Amino acid sequence: MYQYDVIDREFLIDRSSEFRGQVGRRLAGEITEDQFKPLRLMNGLYLQLHAYMLRIAIPYGSLNPTQTRRLAEIARDYDKGYGHFTTRQNIQFNWIKLKDAPDILDKLAEVDLHAIQTSGNCIRNTTSDPYAGATAEEIDDPRVWSEVIRQWSTLHPEFSFLPRKFKIAITASAKDRTAAKVHDIGLLLRQGRDGTHGFEVIVGGGQGRTPYVGPSIKQFLPTDRLLSYLEAVLRVYNRHGRRDNIYKARIKILVAALGAEEFARQVEEEWSKIDAARADLPAAELARIRASFAKTPFETLPARSEAFELAKAHDSAFARFVRNNVRAHKQPGYAIVEVSLKAPEQTPGDASADQLELVADLAERYSFSDLRVTHAQNLVLPHVKQDDLPTVFAALQAAGLATPNIDLISDIIACPGLDYCALANARAIPIAQDIARQFADPDRAEEVGELKIKISGCINACGHHHVAHIGILGVDKKGEEFYQLSLGGSGAEDASIGKILGPALPADKVATAVDQLVGAYLNVRADGERFLDTYRRVGLEPFKEAVYAQAD
Amino acid sequence: MKAITANRLLDGEVVFWKGGQWVERFGEAELFDTDEPVEAAVATGKGQPTVVVDVYPIDLIESEGRWAPLSYRERIRALGPTNEPTHGKQAEGGDVVEALRHAAGAARSTGRVDLIRRK
Amino acid sequence: MPKLIELADGEARWADDAFVHVADEDAIPDAGDVILSLARFEAEGDALLSSNSRRVGVRIESDQEVEVLAYDLPRIAVVALAFPKYRDGRAYTSARLLRERFGYQGQVRAVGDVLQEQAGFMVRCGFDAFEPADGATPEAWTKAARRFRHVYQRAADDRVVAFEERAS
Repeated sequence: MYQYDVIDREFLIDRSSEFRGQVGRRLAGEITEDQFKPLRLMNGLYLQLHAYMLRIAIPYGSLNPTQTRRLAEIARDYDKGYGHFTTRQNIQFNWIKLKDAPDILDKLAEVDLHAIQTSGNCIRNTTSDPYAGATAEEIDDPRVWSEVIRQWSTLHPEFSFLPRKFKIAITASAKDRTAAKVHDIGLLLRQGRDGTHGFEVIVGGGQGRTPYVGPSIKQFLPTDRLLSYLEAVLRVYNRHGRRDNIYKARIKILVAALGAEEFARQVEEEWSKIDAARADLPAAELARIRASFAKTPFETLPARSEAFELAKAHDSAFARFVRNNVRAHKQPGYAIVEVSLKAPEQTPGDASADQLELVADLAERYSFSDLRVTHAQNLVLPHVKQDDLPTVFAALQAAGLATPNIDLISDIIACPGLDYCALANARAIPIAQDIARQFADPDRAEEVGELKIKISGCINACGHHHVAHIGILGVDKKGEEFYQLSLGGSGAEDASIGKILGPALPADKVATAVDQLVGAYLNVRADGERFLDTYRRVGLEPFKEAVYAQAD
Repeated sequence: MKAITANRLLDGEVVFWKGGQWVERFGEAELFDTDEPVEAAVATGKGQPTVVVDVYPIDLIESEGRWAPLSYRERIRALGPTNEPTHGKQAEGGDVVEALRHAAGAARSTGRVDLIRRK
Repeated sequence: MPKLIELADGEARWADDAFVHVADEDAIPDAGDVILSLARFEAEGDALLSSNSRRVGVRIESDQEVEVLAYDLPRIAVVALAFPKYRDGRAYTSARLLRERFGYQGQVRAVGDVLQEQAGFMVRCGFDAFEPADGATPEAWTKAARRFRHVYQRAADDRVVAFEERAS
C-alpha cells in the first residue's frame, strides 16, 4: 500500500491549517457565505438538510486498519456513530458541525486521510478497482496510476476551477468494477501487442440529467504519457466547456456537441504542444510509487484448503456466503471477501463505528491490513486465506456484515436521498429497504441471480440509476414522492443507459413493481441469462406489461 | 400559514424564527398569517450571516389540529431522517413530533398504481 | 484607480499602477501607459506602440484565447487576464500558456473577481500582479502564496515539485 511520506503529510497539515483559517474568517464575518461555500466544498463540507455533511476521500478505495479505526472514532465523537460509504469510494458523515470540521480534518491528516477535492468543480477522487492487487484478471495494478493521478490532481493550479466537477476512473481488468464508461474520463488499462501497457481513454461518459456512455477517444495511450494527455484533455475542457449553464457544463456535453472525433482531434493538437519532459511523471517517481504497492507477502499455499472445503460441506450458511460474497484470488489458497453493507433494514452503505472497528481488526489479522471500499457501497477484505474464511465469516456474521447478497437483488445502491440531501426530490433509503424486505428470502434471491438495483433521489443520479439493471429515480410530483423505473442499464464493461419503463409509481408500489418485473424475467429467461441479458433479448414490452397491465 | 426556517451557521442545525430569535423546535416556531411580517423577518435573518444561512419561509398545512410544513422535505427537516427515527429533532418525541409524522396532504403519496394508464 | 499588488521574489507589495484601464467607449488619453481590450488593441495597438512613448497592455477576457497575442507579446507590457467570476478558471490556462508556451516575460495581471483565496493558484500559474476585489492586503497575498510547503505538479512558477524533492 502507498505510504505517505513527510511531503504528503506536511501537505495535509498545510491544507488543514488553511481550512481552519477560512472557517475562522467565515465565523468572524470576514468572508461571506458565497465566498466561503466553494472553500468548504473543496474540503468536502456540504450543508445538508439537518447538519453539515463531510465527505472524506478514500483514494482508490483503499483503507488500512489505523485509518478505518480513525473513521470509527470520528463517527463516534463527531457524528451519531455511523458513516455512509458512497458510490465513488468516499465516506460521508451526516451530522458534522462546522466548528468541528477543522479538528476533524486534523485528525484525518494524522492517519493520511483528507477531504481534499471531494466536492467542487475540480478533479475528484479517482475511482479504482476494489480488487486491485488481488484479482487474477488485472494486467497491472491500477492503484499505481490512481496514486499518480491523486498527486498530480491535488490542488492543481490550472484545473481547480473547471466548468464543473471532474471524475476519473481506472480499471486494469476486463471486468469493470469502477463504472469507468460513465465517468468524465475512464482509463482502461490494456496490454499492447508488443507487451507494453497503455490506456484506452474514454471521455465524456456521465449520468445526471443527460446520461452518456462515454466514447473512446484514444485506443492506446502509452502509460508513461498519462499526465500530459490528461493535461491536454483537461485544458481543452477548461477552455471550451460551457460555463453559462450548470446543467450543460460537464465534459460530456462538450464531447457530445463537438463529436468524439473532433474532441479527440483538439486534444491531440493540444497534446502535441505540451512539453512532455515537464508534464509527464519522471520514471524515477513512477518507480517509487510502484514500489510502494510492492507485492503483498503471500504465503505459498495449496490451491485447495481442507478446512474451507469441510466448512462449506457442513455449514449451509457459510456455503451460501461463499457462493455470493467470496471471489477468486490470483494467489492459490487465498480469496477475496466482500463485506455486505446491505443487511435487511440497514441503510445501504452505512457502517456503524463498531462495524468499522471490527472490519479493521479483521483486515489487520486476516488481510494484510488491507481493506477496500467498492462503488457498490460494500467493503472488501482483499486477501483472506481460504483456511481463515470460516473464522472471518463467523466474525462478520456476528456483526451483521455477512449478508450473502453481493450483486443480488438486495445489494441495492442508494443515495442518501431526501432523508439527508439538500438536493433530493424523494427518499431513496426507504425504497431500498422495501425492496430488500420483499426479497428477504435468500433462496429466492439466489434463484433470481445477479440483479443490480440502483436508486437515486434526484436526477443528479448519485445512486447510479441510469446504469442499473433496474433503475429507480425519485421525482417530486406536486409535492409527492414518485418513482420512475428504468430497465437495462449497466455500469460495467457492457455499459448502457437504462430505458424508462413507464409512468412513475407512488412509493408504496415500487417494491411490488420490482416483484412483477422479476416475475416477468423468471417467466421468459433462458438458461444462464441474467436479468440484464433477458431484458436485452426480449426488450421492454413484457416488463411494461407485467407492471402496468392491470390498468386495463 | 407560514413559518420561517434556516440552518444555523455554526453547526448546520435546522432552526425556526420566533420573534427575533432562532429556535430548534418546529413546535416553537412563530406562525404568520400575513406576508408582510414574513418578508420583514426573512430580511432580518438574511442580515445575520454569522448566525444563520439560507433563510426562507415555508408553507404550512393543518395536521391533527396542529400546523405542519406542507412539503415532505420541510417535514423531514423538522423531524430528522426517516431511516433513523432516533436521530435529529424527532428523538425527543411528543405530540408535535407525532403530528408532523402523520402530516398528510400534498406530500403524502396515496397514488394507486392500477389507476395509472399505460402509454 | 484600483489598488495593485505586485509579486516579486515571493514577496507581495503595494505598487503604483502606471497603467490606466481604458474602456472601449472612452478615448485613449494623450499620454501614459494604457491597458486596452483585445479589439481595441487589434485596431489601435500598432499606432500606439510605434509612437514608442508609452507602454501598452492588453486585457484578455476569459472567453478569449491568448494565442492571438503570440506575435505581439514581446512588445506588450501587461497582459491583464479577466476573472468575470472567481469560479471562471479559464484565466489560469491563459496565464500558464503565456508563461510556459510563449515564454512571456511581461506582467501577467489578474483583474476582475480576484480574491485572496485563489492567490496560491494564480501565483503558481504565473500571475505576478493582482487587482484584488476583496480588499486583500499584500500580507494576505504573500501568506496565501506561501501556504503550502509542497506542490505536486509543475506549473509556471519555479517551485520544486514533490517528486523533485524526493529525488534530491
